Amino acid sequence: MLELRDLARRYGDVVALDGVSFTVGAGQMFGFVGPNGAGKTTAMRIILGVLAADRGEVLFEGRPVTFERRTRFGYMPEERGLYPKMRVRDQLVYLARLHGMDAAAAGRAADTWIERLGLTDRAGDRVEALSLGNQQRVQLAAALVHDPELLVLDEPFSGLDPVGVDVLSAVLADYAATGVPVVFSSHQLELVERLCEAVAIIKDGRLVASGAVEELRDRGADHRRVRVEVAADDAWVPPGAEVVSRDGRGIVLALLDPTTPDAVLDAARAAGSVTHFSLERPTLTDLFREAVAA
Amino acid sequence: MSRRGAASQAPGGGVNGTVGLVAKRELRERTREKSFLISTGINVAIIVAVIVLAAVLDSDGTTYKVAGDRAVVEAAAQAAEGTDVKVLPVSVDDVRAALEDGSIDAAIQDGRIVSKDKPPDDLVALLQAGNLTQGKPPPPLQVSTVEPVDEDADAKAGYTFFIVLILYGQLLTYGYWVSAGVVEEKASRVVEVVLSTIRPAQLLAGKVIGLGLLGLGNLLLIFGIGLGVAKATGALDIDGAVLGAAALALAWFVVGYAFYACAFACAGALVSRQEDLQSTMTPLTVMILVSFFLAFAVRDNPDGTLAHITAFIPMTAPLTVPPRIVTGDIPAWEIVASLVVTVGAAALLIPIAARIYAGGILRTGSALKLRDAWRAARA
Repeated sequence: MLELRDLARRYGDVVALDGVSFTVGAGQMFGFVGPNGAGKTTAMRIILGVLAADRGEVLFEGRPVTFERRTRFGYMPEERGLYPKMRVRDQLVYLARLHGMDAAAAGRAADTWIERLGLTDRAGDRVEALSLGNQQRVQLAAALVHDPELLVLDEPFSGLDPVGVDVLSAVLADYAATGVPVVFSSHQLELVERLCEAVAIIKDGRLVASGAVEELRDRGADHRRVRVEVAADDAWVPPGAEVVSRDGRGIVLALLDPTTPDAVLDAARAAGSVTHFSLERPTLTDLFREAVAA
Repeated sequence: MSRRGAASQAPGGGVNGTVGLVAKRELRERTREKSFLISTGINVAIIVAVIVLAAVLDSDGTTYKVAGDRAVVEAAAQAAEGTDVKVLPVSVDDVRAALEDGSIDAAIQDGRIVSKDKPPDDLVALLQAGNLTQGKPPPPLQVSTVEPVDEDADAKAGYTFFIVLILYGQLLTYGYWVSAGVVEEKASRVVEVVLSTIRPAQLLAGKVIGLGLLGLGNLLLIFGIGLGVAKATGALDIDGAVLGAAALALAWFVVGYAFYACAFACAGALVSRQEDLQSTMTPLTVMILVSFFLAFAVRDNPDGTLAHITAFIPMTAPLTVPPRIVTGDIPAWEIVASLVVTVGAAALLIPIAARIYAGGILRTGSALKLRDAWRAARA
């Protein structure tokens, strides 16, 4: 379990993080979202010890993270980084060894990930000779090669094609399933909603919301909005409601005061057979927009 | 989490293990680069060419002007026919003055060969042969010189030149590589991955040690091949003095490199792109260049004030002290003191460099100021 407690960091006069706390459970896929410049990268760098916090602490399995513990973390920085002239396998073995693996184990781990990520034909090539997509795979392998106890990835999905997104999603989900917390940041909110059990939303260095995705959506459920599927045209819609969107099967109504959901349901039933009636839950995207606009 | 077997291993393989890994990578990747192999090959080729050329030129078409006892000189000139050396009999009014200004190489006077410095061996042999042809069995010619003889003066001048040149080249080349290596890691952003598992000081130490070992190996190769070729062509007798000079050059490379490499690492850590490196590296390259010229000034006046002062400045000592050791113009205490000062300065510089390096290494954008990097490394 990873826990951030009241992390703060400033760069000169710029406040990058201002008291951020959240918890990531074992085996949890955790999405870290926020607008550009919100402090996501700063927080991740602090977790990895690349950057020092001005205040607050990072705990792993209940204890403050030491330098030795950090060597067991895996990290993919936002700005991808590999030795451009180093060969793929050499590079992975080197990084695994820097993380404390012995030569034999590092070699085995490098081979495993090279095969898993479909890089077998490229194992002896210099990284600079690979396509961007393949470089991205090597970068992922570099974060995973030492079998980390915590995985932190900064925008791992950016720049990937849909197939690459699927491959990466599957690898991360499998890895989390082994009991490892997986934290990643992303701007692709639908993806985060689909992959993550829990999220943290930050803005201007402060936590806006964090917790299980479903709970956040329930909590944010807007009782002023209902979705109705009814076998009738829109003439039944009472004057106290407005159609905000529609799809093939139904419509979403925004309720104006003092119209209640009950009144809308009554009107719909009077018009025809109601096959669906629900209070609309906001998507992660809706929550994000709302949080960021506030 | 039992599947995480590696967790039970010593993390990072210990501090020394980590530095060793970094150093090994530097060595391995460098020596696998074509450009490195080519430049090393070119260096060796130049040295071989210089030695072979020197050996060829040395015995090719030299003309010695000799005054004095006409009969002996003409006999020597005859003896020289068919060899690639000529002896030219000349007449001068003042033998001593002519020797001083170099208009003659030697003179035969009162049964002696007179010359300014030690006369060339082939000339002496020819004059002795000429003397033997003079009917009566004469005593062999004695050699006397205008200036006191230093048997090895030429050889020593050669060594010092060579040593200063090579030390200069190695310090500059390997210093640059340290800078360039640091910038490569910054520019490619790989440093963030590396520093998530090792400390900046470990990365710095590994890089400096790895490249230093490479420089030392490179010097050993150059000396080995150079001395081998010199011996094969007869340009040099390999004796204790020569090996001593070579060992000295190696030792001062280590000391000088320790000092400069840390400074070059800082120069690299302050910038984010290779294009900006020149600006932070220039003070260091100028320092080395100035030391290079000072070394020649010191060679010409090895007991002067300049010689004594520069021996105690860590930036200059690695280049100005070795020539004086070769010519024997430096007392032992001064060698030791100079080493202590330079090594001490390097030891002081290492933690400072480590801090500047740590402060600068993750900053991107325009070149950093030293002070900003120092402050950035507050934790």
